[in-house]
Amino acid sequence: MANLSVNLCGITLKNPVIGASGTVGFGREFNELYDIGTVGGISTKGLTNEPRLGNPTPRIAESRGVILNAVGLQNPGVEHFIEHDLAWLKSTGTAVIANVAGKTLDDYRAICERLDGLVDMVELNISCPNVKSGGMAFGIKPQSVEEVAKIAKSALTKTPLMVKLSPNVESIATNAKAAENGGVDAISLINTLTGMAIDIERRRPIIANNTGGVSGAGIKPIAVRMVYEAAQAVKIPVVGMGGITCAEDAIEFLMAGATAVQVGTANFTDPYAMPKIIKGLNEWCDRHGVENVSELTGVLTLNQR
Amino acid sequence: MKDYLATIVENKKIANGVYSITFRVDEDVQVRCGQFGEIAVGGSHLLRRPIAICKVEGKHITFCYQVKGEGTQKLKEMSAGAQLNVLMPLGNGFFVEESEQKVALVGGGVGIFPLISVLRQYRGEKQISSYMGFRNKAAVCMLSELSKANKSVVVSDDGSYGAKMNAVQAFEADLAAGNRPDVVLACGPMPMLRALKQVAEREGLTCFVSLEERMGCGIGACLVCVCAMTNGANARVCKDGPVFNAKSVEL
Ligand SMILES: Cc1cc2nc3c(=O)[nH]c(=O)nc-3n(C[C@H](O)[C@H](O)[C@H](O)COP(=O)(O)OP(=O)(O)OC[C@H]3O[C@@H](n4cnc5c(N)ncnc54)[C@H](O)[C@@H]3O)c2cc1C
Ligand SMILES: Cc1cc2nc3c(=O)[nH]c(=O)nc-3n(C[C@H](O)[C@H](O)[C@H](O)COP(=O)(O)O)c2cc1C
Ligand code: FES
Repeated sequence: MANLSVNLCGITLKNPVIGASGTVGFGREFNELYDIGTVGGISTKGLTNEPRLGNPTPRIAESRGVILNAVGLQNPGVEHFIEHDLAWLKSTGTAVIANVAGKTLDDYRAICERLDGLVDMVELNISCPNVKSGGMAFGIKPQSVEEVAKIAKSALTKTPLMVKLSPNVESIATNAKAAENGGVDAISLINTLTGMAIDIERRRPIIANNTGGVSGAGIKPIAVRMVYEAAQAVKIPVVGMGGITCAEDAIEFLMAGATAVQVGTANFTDPYAMPKIIKGLNEWCDRHGVENVSELTGVLTLNQR
Repeated sequence: MKDYLATIVENKKIANGVYSITFRVDEDVQVRCGQFGEIAVGGSHLLRRPIAICKVEGKHITFCYQVKGEGTQKLKEMSAGAQLNVLMPLGNGFFVEESEQKVALVGGGVGIFPLISVLRQYRGEKQISSYMGFRNKAAVCMLSELSKANKSVVVSDDGSYGAKMNAVQAFEADLAAGNRPDVVLACGPMPMLRALKQVAEREGLTCFVSLEERMGCGIGACLVCVCAMTNGANARVCKDGPVFNAKSVEL
């Protein structure tokens, strides 16, 4: 039995596997299949100050090895989450990471103030590609990444802050650094890559929103590269995600510099993906004489060129 | 709800482009009519395919599917002995109240398959009239199952089998002849459901429809599969549905 626990800027996760925002809701449905408390953390569906209905359907499409989604941040609003889901989710024993989005800097400030001290961590979504006002405007330019990070950080006096970076940018390293300069405690990446899939019979995009965020197994090499570049650029912890399907995938991210990982699309392919990854991590560590999974973070050595 | 490692027992053609696949699982599965399974076709297909559970006989579960795209094509090519993951049973299913004795089933295309499960669950107990519409004669299937209804009307769009009309028209004709049900249960293409909803409203009939939507998780977590409710909220087709009272959803 390897020690799978990791320390993510002061909070202890029982293992480095976190359910990625938008794929596991608030944990209740997956808890019908297995004890969600066995997962290191749950990043909630992106929360906004007010409830949102999201985009029209179809909201999802498939392309070989990946999926595209444009849910458009449908959520019941932060108050509803606090009232109906938070206490339950906490009681399961998983770390509660509130993923939040907004249109304006004031939105981000207000939602962070509301959640301060209530959750284990806040994950700032400044990278949703599926709504005009999903914060991606803040996620592109390094200056605005830093600005929104600063404002969110100042609104959070008790709860650590993580910023989720968009891959749809010029330089992931520059944006990672900008977030760090903004004073955040950790960064997570990658959010989805913007894509399109076309129904050639109808000569129209499959997704009602036309474009959607690409995720799933096929994006993993891009995500690993970006996690590596971001981890090289900052001193704060990095949470890696993008296409993780099995324990070996998760280990790639750890080696590239991640302290913990998130699992998204794989939960759709196999609803038991997360418990399997946790079990697989333990077995891999045992086979390789790794006592603490945290030893794997950043062990990558580049080839000499 | 559980993810079963299911072994294919039989996978056979039952009509033009339509196949029936029977799986064996390791335990008896409790299924309500109208519930569905999410079938993992594997490989580069990261999303599972939602398919209505058509028949349950102990550890044997049968789904009927039309070959549409890559996933169902792949399913069609699989042979007995192969194993697939099937997450089931999912969704709410159809429910007939004790007070409702006369049940009308209105189905079009692949929409007939969840209604076959209704027929199997309630036959003997309720008085069932079935109105099923197919594109043409080559698409007609499940006749032996349908014949177990108290009344079975089968029609086709082109008149090559039964009368030339759709299932809603067949239902309306019988309604006009005085055969009025206590509840109508329906599944089929959206235009058909829309037309049926209008008939039900006009006639003051209680009507439940089973909807289709593209899905992510299939269990209610991702909010990918929503439909608009008449009260302005969204409902999840996979978890709150797929069966809805027609008057509560925007069609
Ligand atoms: C609750 C429910 C019950 C269903 N029951 C049946 C049934 O009994 N028999 C049957 O033949 N079909 C049924 N369908 C439709 C069936 O899910 C699709 O025809 C099938 O998913 C197409 O997959 P594909 O790989 O062939 O197509 P592709 O176009 O390759 O599929 C790509 C993606 O889109 C999804 N998709 C495409 N069309 C639909 C659709 N109409 N509804 C939902 N998802 C879709 C697929 O699941 C997949 O994720 C049902 C759908 C739902 C939602
Ligand atoms: C259906 C769906 C909904 C998502 N919703 C959100 C969201 O609300 N907020 C967010 O930050 N990321 C959201 N994401 C992005 C994921 O959290 C994750 O960053 C991305 O999917 C890459 O990981 P994966 O390849 O493991 O899925 C969503 C992804 C999917 C597939
Ligand atoms: S498919 Fe995920 S909520 Fe319905």
